Amino acid sequence: MPKVVKTTINVEGRVSEQFAIVEGAELPPWGEHEELGIVGYPAPRIDGAARVSGEARYTYDVQLPGMVYGRLVRAKQASAKITRIDVRKAKAVRGVVDVMTYENVPDIEMSGRQTRLLSDDVRFAGQTIAVVVAVDPYVAADAAALIEVEYAERPLVADPEAALAADAVKVQPDKPNNLLNGKPRIKERGDVAAGFAAADEIAAVTVRTPTALHNAFETHGCVAHWEGDQLTIYESTQHTFGVREFAAKKLELPMSKVRAVSTFMGGGFGAKFPGSAYTLIAATTAKRLRRPVHLMYDREGENLETGNRGQTLQQVKIGARRDGTLTAIEYSGISEGGAAMGWLPMLEGPASMMYRCPNFRSETSGVLTNLGPMAAFRAPGFVEGMVGLEAAMDELAHKLGMDPLELRRKNIPDTDQLEEKPFSSLPLDECYTRGAAAIGWERRSQPGSQSDGRYRRGIGMASQIWWGGGGPPAYAEMLLNSDGTATVMTGTQDLGTGTRTILAQVAAEELGLPLEQVNVTVGDTLQGPFGPASGGSVTTGSMTPAVRSAANDLRNNLCDIVAQMRDIPQNEIEIRGGMIYRRDQELASVREIMRKLGDVMLQGTGSRGPNPDDVSVVTSGAQFAEVEVDTVTGLVRVLKIVAAHDSGRIMNPQTFNSQIYGGIIQGMGLALTEQRIVDTERGAVLNPNLEFYKLPTIADVPQIENILIDIPDTKANSTGAKGAGEPGIIPTAAAIANAVADALGVRVGTLPITPPRVLEALDAQ
Amino acid sequence: MQPFIHIDVANSEEVIPLLDARSRPLAGGTDMLPLMKEGIVAPERLINIKRAGDLRYIRADEDGLHIGALTTLDELDRHPDVRRDYTTLAQAAAEAASPQLRNMATLGGNLLQQARCWYYRGDFHCWLKGGELCHARDGRNEYHAIFDQSPCVAVYPSDPPAALMALEANLRIVGPQGARLVPVAEFLQPPSAERRTLHTLAPNELIVEVHVPKGPSGSVYLKAMDRATWAYALASVAVAANIRDGRAHNVRIVLGAVSNRPIRALAAEELVEGQLITPELARRAGETALAAARALEHNHYKLPLTRNLVAQALRDIMAG
Ligand SMILES: Cc1cc2nc3c(=O)[nH]c(=O)nc-3n(C[C@H](O)[C@H](O)[C@H](O)COP(=O)(O)OP(=O)(O)OC[C@H]3O[C@@H](n4cnc5c(N)ncnc54)[C@H](O)[C@@H]3O)c2cc1C
Ligand code: SF4
Repeated sequence: MPKVVKTTINVEGRVSEQFAIVEGAELPPWGEHEELGIVGYPAPRIDGAARVSGEARYTYDVQLPGMVYGRLVRAKQASAKITRIDVRKAKAVRGVVDVMTYENVPDIEMSGRQTRLLSDDVRFAGQTIAVVVAVDPYVAADAAALIEVEYAERPLVADPEAALAADAVKVQPDKPNNLLNGKPRIKERGDVAAGFAAADEIAAVTVRTPTALHNAFETHGCVAHWEGDQLTIYESTQHTFGVREFAAKKLELPMSKVRAVSTFMGGGFGAKFPGSAYTLIAATTAKRLRRPVHLMYDREGENLETGNRGQTLQQVKIGARRDGTLTAIEYSGISEGGAAMGWLPMLEGPASMMYRCPNFRSETSGVLTNLGPMAAFRAPGFVEGMVGLEAAMDELAHKLGMDPLELRRKNIPDTDQLEEKPFSSLPLDECYTRGAAAIGWERRSQPGSQSDGRYRRGIGMASQIWWGGGGPPAYAEMLLNSDGTATVMTGTQDLGTGTRTILAQVAAEELGLPLEQVNVTVGDTLQGPFGPASGGSVTTGSMTPAVRSAANDLRNNLCDIVAQMRDIPQNEIEIRGGMIYRRDQELASVREIMRKLGDVMLQGTGSRGPNPDDVSVVTSGAQFAEVEVDTVTGLVRVLKIVAAHDSGRIMNPQTFNSQIYGGIIQGMGLALTEQRIVDTERGAVLNPNLEFYKLPTIADVPQIENILIDIPDTKANSTGAKGAGEPGIIPTAAAIANAVADALGVRVGTLPITPPRVLEALDAQ
Repeated sequence: MQPFIHIDVANSEEVIPLLDARSRPLAGGTDMLPLMKEGIVAPERLINIKRAGDLRYIRADEDGLHIGALTTLDELDRHPDVRRDYTTLAQAAAEAASPQLRNMATLGGNLLQQARCWYYRGDFHCWLKGGELCHARDGRNEYHAIFDQSPCVAVYPSDPPAALMALEANLRIVGPQGARLVPVAEFLQPPSAERRTLHTLAPNELIVEVHVPKGPSGSVYLKAMDRATWAYALASVAVAANIRDGRAHNVRIVLGAVSNRPIRALAAEELVEGQLITPELARRAGETALAAARALEHNHYKLPLTRNLVAQALRDIMAG
């Protein structure tokens, strides 16, 4: 019988109490040493071939009869009121079916990034101000160029530090200042002043991190399609059920009439949560035109409007006793939010929980500017905050004359200092030991003692902490077909991380079928029960226990049937490798049994149980970087990264590795090459493209050694697995920045550490 | 995009009569097509010269190197003679763009590449596009010039032409009046009020060949980028010299990505001419080469960078 439970969920540091419906008894967790045959082994993605061969259909690829294409038109001003918008020429172009502006778009009130679907109030350059719909995307683009817009320009502010000034232009005129919620967020424990007074050494650093653009392969967008009063939205999203809920609410439709589909997803990195105007514009336009509407961003629009990791300015001060025991941490930081900011990333997160420290104070602010709005971006706040914290830790170690790794080891937290609970598992010491051995930490020099040749090498490290345990609600269903194959169904999505594959592994493991006999359907709210948003690294920790529970339910049903058919006790039946045994005696294959039954289908349902109350579930780890700086060109080359992360049980080393590799490469971008560049006078982003926004190329990617820690977190959930999507990016930039400081003997405090910044640092030396 | 007519031609002779101010040759299209998509240029006729086989060759003889204008950067980089005797050119081609682009990009088109300045490529009607104002001068200029040569501070973006200048190459250009031979060093000129381009090709002319005189004993191209590959130069240096008895003769030093055109560093050449180039002399040559440079607000780094590259290139060339 279903039970209602209340449980605590922690997504990216935002803790909430949730009701969840839990089916059946919670399974005992797979033990730490339990022998599994499929889970934990490398398996290529079950959809890998489809993805690389072009067979996989992404949202962009959806084609429906009669479909028309929308083109988003962007504002060229950063702060202005539109006084006139003339679409007559655009409408006259052959093939144009419709043009929407603030004058004719349905009046739907929005929250968050936009207040209306389209508005005459322009707050950043690149804001969508019109949508042209035409029979093909090229006609739409040509027509878009013919729209005439007149603006009444207003003053603007496009630099977060300038936006802090008392007399700064206000981005949201109705607000008292440019701070999110009007004031800084303050967090405090213990007594910082006393802590610093008790310190023998104090280190203080100032660091800056750039605005980073997500640049997922697939841009944002959707295809809206009505069949009668039934709306289907194909959307590139991190939360299918969120799309359904959002559309149903805003369009005043029953949820049962809305279906959201995201079968294949080209990446999101945090920016693809539902709630944007384009979904509703596509849906309302499709309804009016009685034709499906395809509405996708282009790369430039993507990079201007759909989100970013806001730049930060951070000051970190840490005090310690002679023996390295931390006595106080003081953290202050600002994070740019652009023209609209829903929430402030937890910049102070690392400083507040990475290391044991009784006295802590932080003051953080979100700052509004006339630039594109921020969005969550892979471990928001923690990537940036770790750069500040770990720079300060290295400086402190230097002052104490202590090995930086030793200093960290000394301050491994024994409890979660935010939740005031013990951790379910925190194998940081093991991550440090194995990572240090793999990089050859003993080769690290003393700062300032480098040779004067053309190339200088350095080694640095940084730690990682993050959540990722997941939790309810998350559901799965399973079907056993008459040919002995099984289907896992859940409406959650695979945003490219390998979710499909590990769900198949879990189902096969629990059910006793070979992996090839299990298929998985995800990404369709009509083809499976509710699953969580893929954010905060929760999908694995939430979904694998649900699938295991559904597979277990199905297995019990199958055993019941076999028991009845063969008239043997249910508890003597086992299923392994697709075969059914009575103790050790082989009875028949699952396929044979199902064939015999003919046209039947066995079902199983499962859900994610509640989280434990008495422990805090986190992921942790460390990365070590070795770099080589070319003193002639200023280019930093990363020679090697060693990663050691605890994500509980590793479900599939292959998909786990790709998450860590991807995180590291993205972290390298933040450390060395990526930065949005803004002409602050004009409020213009100068590099919303892949030419001047420099993602790392494959030639920049070093050898990456990912050490599998692989300790099942048996307190966390019934599979012992935690997320891996975000941990991999958290320490990378911090470790690289520390390695560069080791190589140069001076710290480049502003990321990315580009040749210009290296050359300036060398010049000053 | 503006409508246009696409005309295929089979050889270079067919092209000339079709050329005028409203038509443009289309070679690899790697610059032309993006410029058209962005609405920066809008020719009425595109004369597709890709199939003009008589423009695609590399010939090395006593007279030097003859390169057809349609030769791709990839072909340049792979050619054994170019690699051995005109190393700086092979290196410059190899360091340009990405493999996919080098398969399409031709040397003729590369010489004519438009400015990569982000205002020019963006939504700004700047001076080079015919407007009044250079937005980069008081805006963001980290990738811009440190030698001021015109109202525009965009740098000439292509790599191979700096190498061609160090090798004292000439262009064979054909127009309605026949052929002319012009040194690359003269062909590339800062823009002027009347001619808002980084080169001096008339609209009715076609580049048919690049001729490189017999190469010096050594040459090198060094390019600084802000990632490992696929980036325009932050600065580059091409050096060519004859090394005899441990001394450098006929030294040519060309600085790339520092101005509207590649620049010969004449004073630095003079300093090292006929000398045994020690690391100290190389360093001084770097300083001399940059003596007249002036940084803009965001590109101070280019001074030490270009100095370093000159010194490094001279050291490399002495080391062979
Ligand atoms: C992303 C990117 C990165 C790049 N990076 C680099 C780099 O690092 N270094 C570098 O040097 N270059 C770089 N390039 C530029 C590239 O090398 C040039 O675009 C290419 O060489 C142009 O050759 P094309 O054949 O494609 O010319 P097209 O695009 O076909 O033509 C360019 C121009 O030349 C004209 N033209 C072409 N051939 C002739 C001819 N024979 N006679 C008269 N006119 C002619 C055309 O009319 C047009 O105006 C990059 C380009 C891109 C897109
Ligand atoms: S540098 Fe040249 S191309 Fe760039 S904005 Fe100025 S005039 Fe235009």
